[in-house]
Amino acid sequence: MRQIGDSTFIEEVENYQGVAVIDFWAAWCGPCKMLAPIFEELNNELGDKIKFAKVNVDENPTVTNKYRIASIPTILIFKNGTVAETLIGFRPKQEIKTLLEKYV
Amino acid sequence: MGKRYDVAIVGSGPAGLSAAVNAKIRNKEIILFGYSDLSNKLIKAPKINNYLGFPNITGQELKENFQRHMEAMDIEITTERINSIYAMGDYFVLMANEKMYEAKAVILATGMEYTKPLKGEVEFLGRGVGYCATCDAPLYKGKVVTVIGYNKEAEEEANYVSELAQKLYYIPVYNGDYKLSDKIEVIKDKPVEVKGENIVTALELANSTLKTDGVFILKDSISPGQLVPGLEMEEGHIKVDRNMKTNLKGCFAAGDCIGKPYQYIKAAGEGLIAALSAVSYVDSMR
Ligand SMILES: Cc1cc2nc3c(=O)[nH]c(=O)nc-3n(C[C@H](O)[C@H](O)[C@H](O)COP(=O)(O)OP(=O)(O)OC[C@H]3O[C@@H](n4cnc5c(N)ncnc54)[C@H](O)[C@@H]3O)c2cc1C
Repeated sequence: MRQIGDSTFIEEVENYQGVAVIDFWAAWCGPCKMLAPIFEELNNELGDKIKFAKVNVDENPTVTNKYRIASIPTILIFKNGTVAETLIGFRPKQEIKTLLEKYV
Repeated sequence: MGKRYDVAIVGSGPAGLSAAVNAKIRNKEIILFGYSDLSNKLIKAPKINNYLGFPNITGQELKENFQRHMEAMDIEITTERINSIYAMGDYFVLMANEKMYEAKAVILATGMEYTKPLKGEVEFLGRGVGYCATCDAPLYKGKVVTVIGYNKEAEEEANYVSELAQKLYYIPVYNGDYKLSDKIEVIKDKPVEVKGENIVTALELANSTLKTDGVFILKDSISPGQLVPGLEMEEGHIKVDRNMKTNLKGCFAAGDCIGKPYQYIKAAGEGLIAALSAVSYVDSMR
Protein backbone atom coordinates (compact mmCIF):
# COMPACT_ATOMS: atom_id res chain seq x y z
CA MET A 1 0.00 0.00 0.00
CA ARG A 2 1.25 3.42 -0.93
CA GLN A 3 2.23 5.73 1.96
CA ILE A 4 1.89 9.44 1.31
CA GLY A 5 2.37 12.46 3.56
CA ASP A 6 2.91 16.17 4.08
CA SER A 7 5.22 16.61 1.10
CA THR A 8 3.21 14.61 -1.43
CA PHE A 9 -0.39 15.14 -0.36
CA ILE A 10 -1.18 18.11 -2.59
CA GLU A 11 0.08 16.42 -5.68
CA GLU A 12 -1.28 12.96 -4.88
CA VAL A 13 -4.70 13.92 -3.51
CA GLU A 14 -5.67 17.57 -3.69
CA ASN A 15 -4.67 17.96 -7.33
CA TYR A 16 -5.89 14.51 -8.30
CA GLN A 17 -8.88 14.37 -10.66
CA GLY A 18 -10.77 11.29 -9.59
CA VAL A 19 -11.53 9.42 -6.39
CA ALA A 20 -8.85 8.94 -3.75
CA VAL A 21 -9.33 7.06 -0.50
CA ILE A 22 -6.94 7.92 2.31
CA ASP A 23 -6.51 5.96 5.52
CA PHE A 24 -5.06 8.01 8.42
CA TRP A 25 -3.32 5.63 10.80
CA ALA A 26 -0.53 5.15 13.33
CA ALA A 27 1.49 2.23 14.60
CA TRP A 28 0.15 2.53 18.16
CA CYS A 29 -3.51 2.29 17.13
CA GLY A 30 -5.20 -1.11 17.51
CA PRO A 31 -8.27 -0.50 15.35
CA CYS A 32 -5.93 0.78 12.60
CA LYS A 33 -4.26 -2.62 12.55
CA MET A 34 -7.64 -4.30 12.15
CA LEU A 35 -8.57 -1.97 9.31
CA ALA A 36 -5.30 -2.47 7.43
CA PRO A 37 -6.07 -5.89 5.84
CA ILE A 38 -9.56 -4.68 4.86
CA PHE A 39 -8.05 -1.62 3.20
CA GLU A 40 -5.63 -3.89 1.31
CA GLU A 41 -8.50 -6.10 0.13
CA LEU A 42 -10.47 -3.08 -1.06
CA ASN A 43 -7.40 -1.86 -2.92
CA ASN A 44 -7.12 -5.23 -4.65
CA GLU A 45 -10.79 -5.16 -5.59
CA LEU A 46 -11.21 -1.51 -6.59
CA GLY A 47 -7.65 -0.23 -7.01
CA ASP A 48 -7.92 0.07 -10.79
CA LYS A 49 -10.73 2.62 -10.45
CA ILE A 50 -9.89 4.35 -7.18
CA LYS A 51 -6.60 5.57 -5.74
CA PHE A 52 -5.81 4.11 -2.32
CA ALA A 53 -3.13 5.50 0.01
CA LYS A 54 -2.25 5.79 3.67
CA VAL A 55 -1.04 8.65 5.84
CA ASN A 56 0.89 8.01 9.04
CA VAL A 57 -0.36 10.73 11.41
CA ASP A 58 2.78 10.63 13.58
CA GLU A 59 5.03 11.52 10.67
CA ASN A 60 2.71 13.96 8.90
CA PRO A 61 1.34 16.59 11.30
CA THR A 62 0.55 19.14 8.58
CA VAL A 63 -2.10 17.14 6.70
CA THR A 64 -3.30 15.56 9.94
CA ASN A 65 -4.05 19.02 11.34
CA LYS A 66 -5.34 20.40 8.09
CA TYR A 67 -8.03 17.73 7.88
CA ARG A 68 -8.64 17.90 11.65
CA ILE A 69 -8.03 14.23 12.30
CA ALA A 70 -9.08 13.82 15.95
CA SER A 71 -9.44 10.07 16.10
CA ILE A 72 -7.90 7.24 14.13
CA PRO A 73 -8.46 5.33 12.03
CA THR A 74 -10.15 7.95 9.88
CA ILE A 75 -10.82 7.32 6.21
CA LEU A 76 -11.35 10.30 3.93
CA ILE A 77 -12.80 9.86 0.48
CA PHE A 78 -11.72 12.65 -1.88
CA LYS A 79 -13.44 13.45 -5.11
CA ASN A 80 -11.48 15.75 -7.42
CA GLY A 81 -9.44 16.98 -4.50
CA THR A 82 -12.16 17.74 -1.97
CA VAL A 83 -13.44 15.61 0.88
CA ALA A 84 -16.67 13.90 -0.13
CA GLU A 85 -16.97 11.46 2.74
CA THR A 86 -15.50 10.95 6.22
CA LEU A 87 -15.45 7.59 8.00
CA ILE A 88 -14.30 7.74 11.60
CA GLY A 89 -13.22 4.62 13.46
CA PHE A 90 -13.04 1.03 12.29
CA ARG A 91 -15.70 0.24 9.69
CA PRO A 92 -16.71 -3.20 8.41
CA LYS A 93 -15.48 -3.99 4.91
CA GLN A 94 -18.98 -4.13 3.45
CA GLU A 95 -19.84 -0.64 4.67
CA ILE A 96 -16.73 0.93 3.12
CA LYS A 97 -17.20 -0.99 -0.10
CA THR A 98 -20.83 0.06 -0.47
CA LEU A 99 -19.79 3.67 0.00
CA LEU A 100 -16.93 3.43 -2.50
CA GLU A 101 -19.12 1.80 -5.10
CA LYS A 102 -21.13 5.01 -5.28
CA TYR A 103 -18.00 6.70 -6.63
CA VAL A 104 -16.86 4.23 -9.30
CA MET B 1 -3.27 -16.01 16.81
CA GLY B 2 -5.34 -18.61 18.69
CA LYS B 3 -7.96 -20.80 17.17
CA ARG B 4 -11.02 -19.57 15.36
CA TYR B 5 -14.22 -20.51 17.21
CA ASP B 6 -17.44 -21.22 15.36
CA VAL B 7 -19.54 -18.97 17.57
CA ALA B 8 -18.54 -16.35 20.15
CA ILE B 9 -21.30 -15.33 22.57
CA VAL B 10 -20.94 -12.03 24.42
CA GLY B 11 -22.98 -11.88 27.64
CA SER B 12 -23.86 -14.46 30.28
CA GLY B 13 -27.48 -13.58 31.07
CA PRO B 14 -30.38 -15.86 30.05
CA ALA B 15 -30.03 -14.85 26.38
CA GLY B 16 -26.33 -15.70 26.16
CA LEU B 17 -26.64 -18.91 28.18
CA SER B 18 -29.54 -20.20 26.10
CA ALA B 19 -27.57 -19.39 22.94
CA ALA B 20 -24.56 -21.27 24.32
CA VAL B 21 -26.59 -24.37 25.21
CA ASN B 22 -28.20 -24.55 21.80
CA ALA B 23 -25.04 -23.94 19.80
CA LYS B 24 -23.25 -26.57 21.87
CA ILE B 25 -26.04 -29.14 21.32
CA ARG B 26 -25.41 -28.64 17.61
CA ASN B 27 -21.75 -29.43 18.06
CA LYS B 28 -20.32 -26.01 17.45
CA GLU B 29 -17.11 -24.85 19.04
CA ILE B 30 -18.23 -21.98 21.19
CA ILE B 31 -16.74 -19.40 23.51
CA LEU B 32 -18.95 -17.59 26.02
CA PHE B 33 -17.89 -14.29 27.58
CA GLY B 34 -19.39 -12.91 30.80
CA TYR B 35 -19.30 -13.15 34.57
CA SER B 36 -19.07 -16.08 36.96
CA ASP B 37 -22.20 -14.69 38.65
CA LEU B 38 -23.92 -14.73 35.23
CA SER B 39 -25.97 -11.53 35.46
CA ASN B 40 -26.64 -8.91 38.13
CA LYS B 41 -30.21 -8.76 36.94
CA LEU B 42 -30.67 -12.40 37.87
CA ILE B 43 -29.22 -12.18 41.36
CA LYS B 44 -31.21 -9.05 42.15
CA ALA B 45 -34.70 -10.41 41.34
CA PRO B 46 -36.56 -11.16 44.58
CA LYS B 47 -39.31 -13.39 43.12
CA ILE B 48 -39.90 -14.60 39.61
CA ASN B 49 -43.30 -15.93 38.60
CA ASN B 50 -43.20 -15.80 34.85
CA TYR B 51 -40.43 -18.24 33.96
CA LEU B 52 -42.30 -21.31 32.73
CA GLY B 53 -41.63 -24.39 34.84
CA PHE B 54 -40.23 -22.51 37.86
CA PRO B 55 -43.09 -20.88 39.76
CA ASN B 56 -42.23 -18.65 42.70
CA ILE B 57 -38.45 -18.96 42.31
CA THR B 58 -35.90 -16.38 43.49
CA GLY B 59 -33.38 -14.90 41.09
CA GLN B 60 -30.58 -16.49 43.09
CA GLU B 61 -32.18 -19.95 42.73
CA LEU B 62 -32.77 -19.51 39.03
CA LYS B 63 -29.14 -18.47 38.66
CA GLU B 64 -28.02 -21.65 40.44
CA ASN B 65 -30.21 -23.73 38.12
CA PHE B 66 -28.63 -22.02 35.13
CA GLN B 67 -25.16 -22.71 36.53
CA ARG B 68 -25.95 -26.43 37.02
CA HIS B 69 -27.17 -26.56 33.44
CA MET B 70 -23.88 -25.05 32.20
CA GLU B 71 -21.85 -27.54 34.23
CA ALA B 72 -23.94 -30.47 32.97
CA MET B 73 -23.20 -29.41 29.42
CA ASP B 74 -19.57 -28.64 30.03
CA ILE B 75 -19.92 -25.00 29.06
CA GLU B 76 -17.40 -22.67 30.65
CA ILE B 77 -17.65 -18.93 30.96
CA THR B 78 -14.61 -16.96 29.90
CA THR B 79 -14.71 -14.17 32.46
CA GLU B 80 -13.49 -11.36 30.29
CA ARG B 81 -15.04 -8.11 29.25
CA ILE B 82 -15.12 -7.65 25.49
CA ASN B 83 -14.16 -4.08 24.53
CA SER B 84 -14.58 -4.17 20.79
CA ILE B 85 -15.68 -6.52 18.04
CA TYR B 86 -14.43 -6.05 14.49
CA ALA B 87 -16.31 -7.46 11.49
CA MET B 88 -13.48 -8.51 9.19
CA GLY B 89 -15.65 -9.96 6.43
CA ASP B 90 -15.68 -13.73 6.92
CA TYR B 91 -14.86 -13.65 10.63
CA PHE B 92 -14.84 -11.46 13.70
CA VAL B 93 -12.06 -10.32 15.99
CA LEU B 94 -13.07 -9.81 19.63
CA MET B 95 -10.74 -7.72 21.80
CA ALA B 96 -10.57 -8.10 25.58
CA ASN B 97 -7.96 -5.63 26.78
CA GLU B 98 -4.76 -7.02 25.30
CA LYS B 99 -6.22 -10.38 24.29
CA MET B 100 -7.75 -11.21 20.93
CA TYR B 101 -10.24 -13.92 20.01
CA GLU B 102 -11.52 -14.97 16.60
CA ALA B 103 -14.89 -16.43 15.67
CA LYS B 104 -16.84 -17.08 12.49
CA ALA B 105 -20.11 -15.86 14.02
CA VAL B 106 -20.97 -13.63 16.98
CA ILE B 107 -24.04 -13.49 19.20
CA LEU B 108 -24.51 -10.27 21.17
CA ALA B 109 -26.40 -10.84 24.43
CA THR B 110 -25.10 -7.91 26.44
CA GLY B 111 -28.32 -6.81 28.19
CA MET B 112 -29.23 -3.14 28.67
CA GLU B 113 -27.04 -1.67 31.38
CA TYR B 114 -25.10 1.04 29.68
CA THR B 115 -25.43 4.67 30.69
CA LYS B 116 -27.22 7.12 28.45
CA PRO B 117 -24.95 9.23 26.24
CA LEU B 118 -24.39 12.89 27.12
CA LYS B 119 -25.95 15.53 24.96
CA GLY B 120 -23.61 16.05 21.99
CA GLU B 121 -21.63 12.90 22.74
CA VAL B 122 -22.75 10.88 19.74
CA GLU B 123 -22.73 13.89 17.43
CA PHE B 124 -19.06 14.66 18.15
CA LEU B 125 -17.80 11.10 18.35
CA GLY B 126 -14.47 11.03 16.53
CA ARG B 127 -14.57 14.81 16.23
CA GLY B 128 -13.19 15.44 19.68
CA VAL B 129 -15.19 12.90 21.67
CA GLY B 130 -13.54 9.55 22.27
CA TYR B 131 -13.85 6.48 24.47
CA CYS B 132 -10.23 5.40 24.58
CA ALA B 133 -7.94 8.13 25.86
CA THR B 134 -4.76 6.11 25.55
CA CYS B 135 -5.62 5.25 21.94
CA ASP B 136 -6.02 8.80 20.69
CA ALA B 137 -3.78 10.64 23.18
CA PRO B 138 -0.95 11.39 20.71
CA LEU B 139 -3.42 13.37 18.56
CA TYR B 140 -3.95 15.73 21.49
CA LYS B 141 -0.32 16.64 22.01
CA GLY B 142 -0.21 20.21 23.33
CA LYS B 143 -4.00 20.54 23.44
CA VAL B 144 -6.61 20.82 26.18
CA VAL B 145 -8.27 17.54 27.09
CA THR B 146 -11.10 16.71 29.48
CA VAL B 147 -11.59 13.22 30.86
CA ILE B 148 -14.97 12.22 32.32
CA GLY B 149 -14.24 9.18 34.45
CA TYR B 150 -16.90 6.76 35.66
CA ASN B 151 -14.45 4.47 37.49
CA LYS B 152 -10.95 4.23 39.02
CA GLU B 153 -9.42 2.82 35.83
CA ALA B 154 -10.11 6.14 34.15
CA GLU B 155 -7.53 7.76 36.44
CA GLU B 156 -4.69 5.79 34.88
CA GLU B 157 -5.73 6.85 31.41
CA ALA B 158 -5.98 10.46 32.56
CA ASN B 159 -2.46 10.31 34.02
CA TYR B 160 -1.10 9.00 30.75
CA VAL B 161 -2.84 11.62 28.62
CA SER B 162 -1.70 14.42 30.96
CA GLU B 163 1.90 13.71 29.95
CA LEU B 164 1.09 14.70 26.37
CA ALA B 165 -1.68 17.24 26.71
CA GLN B 166 -1.06 20.87 27.50
CA LYS B 167 -3.84 20.85 30.11
CA LEU B 168 -6.02 18.10 31.51
CA TYR B 169 -9.29 18.41 33.39
CA TYR B 170 -10.61 15.36 35.21
CA ILE B 171 -14.30 15.10 36.03
CA PRO B 172 -15.01 12.15 38.34
CA VAL B 173 -18.53 10.69 38.21
CA TYR B 174 -17.92 8.66 41.40
CA ASN B 175 -16.65 9.25 44.92
CA GLY B 176 -13.31 8.23 46.33
CA ASP B 177 -9.70 9.36 46.51
CA TYR B 178 -8.26 10.14 43.16
CA LYS B 179 -4.75 8.95 42.31
CA LEU B 180 -3.98 11.64 39.80
CA SER B 181 -0.82 13.43 38.77
CA ASP B 182 -0.33 16.99 40.08
CA LYS B 183 -0.69 18.43 36.61
CA ILE B 184 -4.33 17.39 36.43
CA GLU B 185 -7.09 19.73 37.53
CA VAL B 186 -10.00 17.89 39.16
CA ILE B 187 -13.39 19.48 38.59
CA LYS B 188 -16.30 18.31 40.69
CA ASP B 189 -19.29 19.23 38.60
CA LYS B 190 -21.88 17.44 36.52
CA PRO B 191 -21.27 17.16 32.74
CA VAL B 192 -24.25 18.36 30.74
CA GLU B 193 -23.37 18.79 27.09
CA VAL B 194 -20.50 18.52 24.62
CA LYS B 195 -20.41 21.60 22.42
CA GLY B 196 -18.69 22.61 19.23
CA GLU B 197 -19.10 23.47 15.58
CA ASN B 198 -17.40 20.93 13.38
CA ILE B 199 -15.24 19.71 16.21
CA VAL B 200 -15.45 19.91 19.98
CA THR B 201 -14.72 23.30 21.51
CA ALA B 202 -16.22 23.09 25.00
CA LEU B 203 -17.82 20.97 27.66
CA GLU B 204 -20.73 22.46 29.50
CA LEU B 205 -21.13 21.51 33.14
CA ALA B 206 -23.98 22.25 35.52
CA ASN B 207 -22.10 25.23 37.04
CA SER B 208 -19.42 26.16 34.52
CA THR B 209 -18.11 25.70 31.00
CA LEU B 210 -14.70 24.31 30.11
CA LYS B 211 -12.91 25.22 26.90
CA THR B 212 -11.48 21.97 25.61
CA ASP B 213 -10.26 20.36 22.38
CA GLY B 214 -11.17 16.84 23.37
CA VAL B 215 -13.50 15.01 25.72
CA PHE B 216 -12.87 11.40 26.68
CA ILE B 217 -15.78 9.60 28.28
CA LEU B 218 -14.62 6.51 30.15
CA LYS B 219 -17.53 4.33 31.28
CA ASP B 220 -17.95 0.83 32.68
CA SER B 221 -20.13 -0.42 29.91
CA ILE B 222 -20.43 0.58 26.33
CA SER B 223 -23.41 0.52 24.03
CA PRO B 224 -23.56 -2.18 21.32
CA GLY B 225 -23.10 0.39 18.57
CA GLN B 226 -19.71 1.28 20.05
CA LEU B 227 -18.84 -2.29 20.88
CA VAL B 228 -19.32 -3.36 17.26
CA PRO B 229 -18.42 -0.58 14.81
CA GLY B 230 -20.89 -0.52 11.93
CA LEU B 231 -23.70 -2.23 13.84
CA GLU B 232 -27.09 -0.77 13.06
CA MET B 233 -29.15 0.42 16.01
CA GLU B 234 -32.79 1.43 16.25
CA GLU B 235 -34.11 3.54 19.14
CA GLY B 236 -31.38 2.47 21.52
CA HIS B 237 -31.57 -1.22 20.68
CA ILE B 238 -29.79 -3.47 18.20
CA LYS B 239 -31.81 -3.82 15.02
CA VAL B 240 -32.58 -7.46 14.17
CA ASP B 241 -34.97 -9.45 12.01
CA ARG B 242 -37.07 -12.45 13.09
CA ASN B 243 -34.02 -14.70 12.87
CA MET B 244 -32.07 -12.39 15.19
CA LYS B 245 -29.85 -11.28 12.31
CA THR B 246 -28.25 -7.85 12.54
CA ASN B 247 -27.12 -5.76 9.56
CA LEU B 248 -23.66 -7.36 9.80
CA LYS B 249 -23.20 -10.73 8.11
CA GLY B 250 -22.59 -13.40 10.77
CA CYS B 251 -23.58 -11.18 13.70
CA PHE B 252 -26.73 -12.01 15.67
CA ALA B 253 -28.27 -10.53 18.82
CA ALA B 254 -30.70 -11.61 21.56
CA GLY B 255 -32.23 -10.51 24.87
CA ASP B 256 -32.73 -7.07 26.38
CA CYS B 257 -30.22 -5.54 23.97
CA ILE B 258 -32.63 -6.00 21.04
CA GLY B 259 -35.66 -4.49 22.74
CA LYS B 260 -38.60 -4.74 25.07
CA PRO B 261 -40.18 -6.47 26.87
CA TYR B 262 -37.24 -7.05 29.21
CA GLN B 263 -37.99 -10.55 30.48
CA TYR B 264 -35.99 -13.72 31.18
CA ILE B 265 -37.91 -16.17 29.04
CA LYS B 266 -38.06 -13.83 26.07
CA ALA B 267 -34.28 -13.42 26.35
CA ALA B 268 -33.79 -17.20 26.52
CA GLY B 269 -36.08 -17.77 23.53
CA GLU B 270 -34.24 -15.20 21.45
CA GLY B 271 -30.92 -16.76 22.48
CA LEU B 272 -32.18 -20.04 21.03
CA ILE B 273 -33.16 -18.43 17.73
CA ALA B 274 -29.86 -16.56 17.50
CA ALA B 275 -27.93 -19.78 18.13
CA LEU B 276 -29.83 -21.67 15.41
CA SER B 277 -29.28 -18.80 12.96
CA ALA B 278 -25.58 -18.69 13.82
CA VAL B 279 -25.29 -22.47 13.40
CA SER B 280 -26.83 -22.41 9.94
CA TYR B 281 -24.66 -19.42 9.00
CA VAL B 282 -21.49 -21.26 10.08
CA ASP B 283 -22.60 -24.41 8.23
CA SER B 284 -23.25 -22.42 5.07
CA MET B 285 -19.66 -21.10 5.08
CA ARG B 286 -18.10 -24.47 4.34
C1 LIG C 1 -34.69 -6.48 40.05
C2 LIG C 1 -35.12 -7.10 38.75
C3 LIG C 1 -36.18 -8.00 38.74
C4 LIG C 1 -36.57 -8.61 37.54
N1 LIG C 1 -37.63 -9.49 37.57
C5 LIG C 1 -37.98 -10.14 36.45
C6 LIG C 1 -39.02 -11.12 36.49
O1 LIG C 1 -39.62 -11.40 37.52
N2 LIG C 1 -39.34 -11.76 35.34
C7 LIG C 1 -38.67 -11.51 34.14
O2 LIG C 1 -38.96 -12.16 33.15
N3 LIG C 1 -37.70 -10.56 34.08
C8 LIG C 1 -37.33 -9.88 35.19
N4 LIG C 1 -36.33 -8.93 35.13
C9 LIG C 1 -35.73 -8.60 33.80
C10 LIG C 1 -34.59 -9.56 33.44
O3 LIG C 1 -33.62 -9.46 34.43
C11 LIG C 1 -33.95 -9.26 32.07
O4 LIG C 1 -34.94 -9.16 31.09
C12 LIG C 1 -32.96 -10.35 31.67
O5 LIG C 1 -31.95 -10.50 32.61
C13 LIG C 1 -32.34 -10.08 30.29
O6 LIG C 1 -31.40 -11.05 29.98
P1 LIG C 1 -30.21 -10.79 28.97
O7 LIG C 1 -29.52 -12.11 28.82
O8 LIG C 1 -30.72 -10.12 27.75
O9 LIG C 1 -29.26 -9.73 29.68
P2 LIG C 1 -28.61 -9.64 31.13
O10 LIG C 1 -29.32 -10.53 32.10
O11 LIG C 1 -28.53 -8.20 31.45
O12 LIG C 1 -27.15 -10.25 30.94
C14 LIG C 1 -26.16 -9.65 30.17
C15 LIG C 1 -24.81 -10.04 30.73
O13 LIG C 1 -23.78 -9.77 29.79
C16 LIG C 1 -22.72 -9.09 30.42
N5 LIG C 1 -22.04 -8.25 29.46
C17 LIG C 1 -22.48 -7.09 28.89
N6 LIG C 1 -21.57 -6.58 28.05
C18 LIG C 1 -20.51 -7.43 28.08
C19 LIG C 1 -19.23 -7.42 27.42
N7 LIG C 1 -18.88 -6.44 26.57
N8 LIG C 1 -18.36 -8.44 27.68
C20 LIG C 1 -18.71 -9.43 28.54
N9 LIG C 1 -19.91 -9.49 29.18
C21 LIG C 1 -20.79 -8.49 28.96
C22 LIG C 1 -23.44 -8.27 31.49
O14 LIG C 1 -22.57 -7.83 32.48
C23 LIG C 1 -24.45 -9.30 32.00
O15 LIG C 1 -23.86 -10.17 32.94
C24 LIG C 1 -35.92 -8.31 36.31
C25 LIG C 1 -34.85 -7.39 36.34
C26 LIG C 1 -34.44 -6.80 37.52
C27 LIG C 1 -33.28 -5.83 37.50
